[in-house]
Amino acid sequence: MATITLENTNNYKEELRQKTAKPMLWIGLVSIVMFFAGLTSAVIVSKGTAQWESVSIPNTFLLSTIFIILSSLTFFLGEKMVKNNDLNKSKIMITATMLLGVLFTITQYIAWKELYSNGVVWAGSESSAAGSYFYTLTALHLIHLLGGLISLTVVLVKSVKEKYNSDNILGIQLSSTYWHFLTILWIYLYLFLIFIA
Amino acid sequence: MSATHHHHEEQDFLFKYIFSQDHKMISKQFLITGFLMGFIGMVMSTLFRLQLGFPGESFWIIDFLLGSWAENGVMAPDKYLSLVTMHGTIMVFFLLTAGLSGTFSNLLIPLQIGARDMASGFLNMLSYWFFFVSSVIMLISLGVEGGAASAGWTIYPPLSALPQAIPGSGLGMTLWLVSMAIFIASSLLGSLNYIVTILNLRTKGMTMTRLPLTIWAFLVTAILGVISFPVLLSAALLLIFDRSFGTSFYLSDIYIGGQVLEHSGGSPILFEHLFWFLGHPEVYIVLLPSLGITSEIVSTMSRKPIFGYRAMITSILAIAFLSAIVWGHHMFVTGMNPFLGAVFTFTTLLIAIPSAVKVFNYLTTLWKGNIIFSPAMLFSIGLVSTFISGGVTGLVLGDSALDINVHDTYFVVGHFHIVMGLSAVFGMYAGVYHWFPKMYGRVMNNTIGYLHFWLTIITTYGIFFPMHFLGLAGVPRRYYTNSEFPLFDNMIDINEFITWCAIAAAFAQLLFAFNFFYSLFRGPKSSQNPWRANSLEWTTPVEHIHGNWPGEIPEVYRWSYDYSKVDENGDYVHGQDFIPQVVPLGPNEKDGGH
Repeated sequence: MATITLENTNNYKEELRQKTAKPMLWIGLVSIVMFFAGLTSAVIVSKGTAQWESVSIPNTFLLSTIFIILSSLTFFLGEKMVKNNDLNKSKIMITATMLLGVLFTITQYIAWKELYSNGVVWAGSESSAAGSYFYTLTALHLIHLLGGLISLTVVLVKSVKEKYNSDNILGIQLSSTYWHFLTILWIYLYLFLIFIA
Repeated sequence: MSATHHHHEEQDFLFKYIFSQDHKMISKQFLITGFLMGFIGMVMSTLFRLQLGFPGESFWIIDFLLGSWAENGVMAPDKYLSLVTMHGTIMVFFLLTAGLSGTFSNLLIPLQIGARDMASGFLNMLSYWFFFVSSVIMLISLGVEGGAASAGWTIYPPLSALPQAIPGSGLGMTLWLVSMAIFIASSLLGSLNYIVTILNLRTKGMTMTRLPLTIWAFLVTAILGVISFPVLLSAALLLIFDRSFGTSFYLSDIYIGGQVLEHSGGSPILFEHLFWFLGHPEVYIVLLPSLGITSEIVSTMSRKPIFGYRAMITSILAIAFLSAIVWGHHMFVTGMNPFLGAVFTFTTLLIAIPSAVKVFNYLTTLWKGNIIFSPAMLFSIGLVSTFISGGVTGLVLGDSALDINVHDTYFVVGHFHIVMGLSAVFGMYAGVYHWFPKMYGRVMNNTIGYLHFWLTIITTYGIFFPMHFLGLAGVPRRYYTNSEFPLFDNMIDINEFITWCAIAAAFAQLLFAFNFFYSLFRGPKSSQNPWRANSLEWTTPVEHIHGNWPGEIPEVYRWSYDYSKVDENGDYVHGQDFIPQVVPLGPNEKDGGH
């Protein structure tokens, strides 16, 4: 950076982005991890009280898990194809990722309806701590995933317009890093809910 | 970042000043907003000190400022609790977190590491405006029906969770939570920038161990913030759910106002765990920047390298690491397993070690230095004094057995005010006096500065030192009045004394405000390097430019503490008692830092 002068500042902006966008995303991911760490610690503290009643996890959540893992796979492949300048195949993969992300969202909603019909509610006199945590944790993950879907939409539009290639890939990498993070976070939450709640 | 090039388009007023993405402008925005909030917090404390020192007496100023909150000029009890709550919230978060870190991290990080600006000027700009919006919402909460949040700055449920428990737990509490959620977003955006800028945008030659200690302090503070603020967000979110949606994360078995509430299964202790997991690192987020600033000022104004540079870095890291595993010391009286209490006692007492290392290093740096007693230097030395006196009472509070007697008494209030209200604030004042020339190109008035310092340190010690005795005698904190209890009858004089000191201290701060604003417009213009310091910020021109340096960013060849460096003949190396970082090493010169 010592050779940057005021003359070449437009390159500077792009160089700055290349250098700093990923580290900033990583720090953001750390903060999200700590957010969910606080919430899952809360579950453990609450579980230690006498009134804890477990909730059984609906099978639809397993379907969600499969969808999100598949979506990470397709996104990974899509990114790899852009790196190899295989733009047509990459468009298919990124579209598939989007579809799987939407399917994840739909199955989450179905799973909540299943919970509700099992008598598990989020709030009110009929609620239990375990039920409240179930809805809270999964809903907060979904909210973060909606952010991921927005990012994915931008990536999809740009990849259809063929804006990415092996030299211009930062946007996809940022989006896919966030997406894989959401997958790993979901797997953690899913296992946590099975074994603890 | 809105960088300039030779065909520079004039930015319009909105983007040059209001929505500036330049770190220097943003630091000034944080400073002014932070100080404004601090002033409001100080007025609040002066008002409730009037009630505490002269219980039940009528005051014109209380009537004038508080209106319907005070009948006949006497503060209402529940409004007292609002003031105490808002005072704490505003001072800890708005003045000492956003105001302190926001100002100095923004000002100094790019300048001291040799960068054009922060990693993302846009996120930096958002960070300030989120802070501004959160401040506005917090102030609006003072005016709503039922008043502002009243459950203490620690907002423990069930008091904070039930609107029927106290008026302030209605809309005021909701607005508090909304404000804090936005505040946390602001803080996280800021920390993001600080960390990535320091790690990725240092100039050539600026290795991590050539950085000034201010940068180390700001880096570690930002990391602490990233780790702890999200947990407060989770605590606040669950509280919002309990308050407004009928969940029972924190509530159980409540009978209030003749009604049995439906909540069951929750625990207020859960809130305490989540809150204090932030709450303890938060006080180090408040303190560490001031410690970094003190390292800088003490060494520059003693014309000596900071003693034990690497030990200082290690101590900052140790304090930060330990601060994340001591939160239980705020919860010793919750009925925790005594063994767990012993664990938290152990980790808490350990923090005394790196803290003491820092104090010894400051004192050793001062020893036999060529000391220049600028107001900044006086406040830095004042920080060392208050850090020692405030810190040692932390050892009493950190012991789970001793804490039983002093928990929630004025002993605690004395302790944390001396380390935060004095040490951290003194660090902030020192930073403003010292870097005023860099921020505004002018110098603040020394005479008024000296007066400000001496009046402040005497009166504030007068406020907080007697509180230890009140606490040991059992006087509880947050009580509206202590004159209802015969047990505390002989404390009334002490309370009155404290209030007089508080009034005097408040007026002393007006000196600073006058000095600051007067010097802003009429202060003598500063030279480029008025303190003859080594760090990179003093190599930039006095007039601010985007991108900081007019040509290339300078390369760095040494650490920033080469003061009074002498060769074998006892002569100053390079002929003067300071060697800026941009001066290459001489032919026979060894790098002083390592």
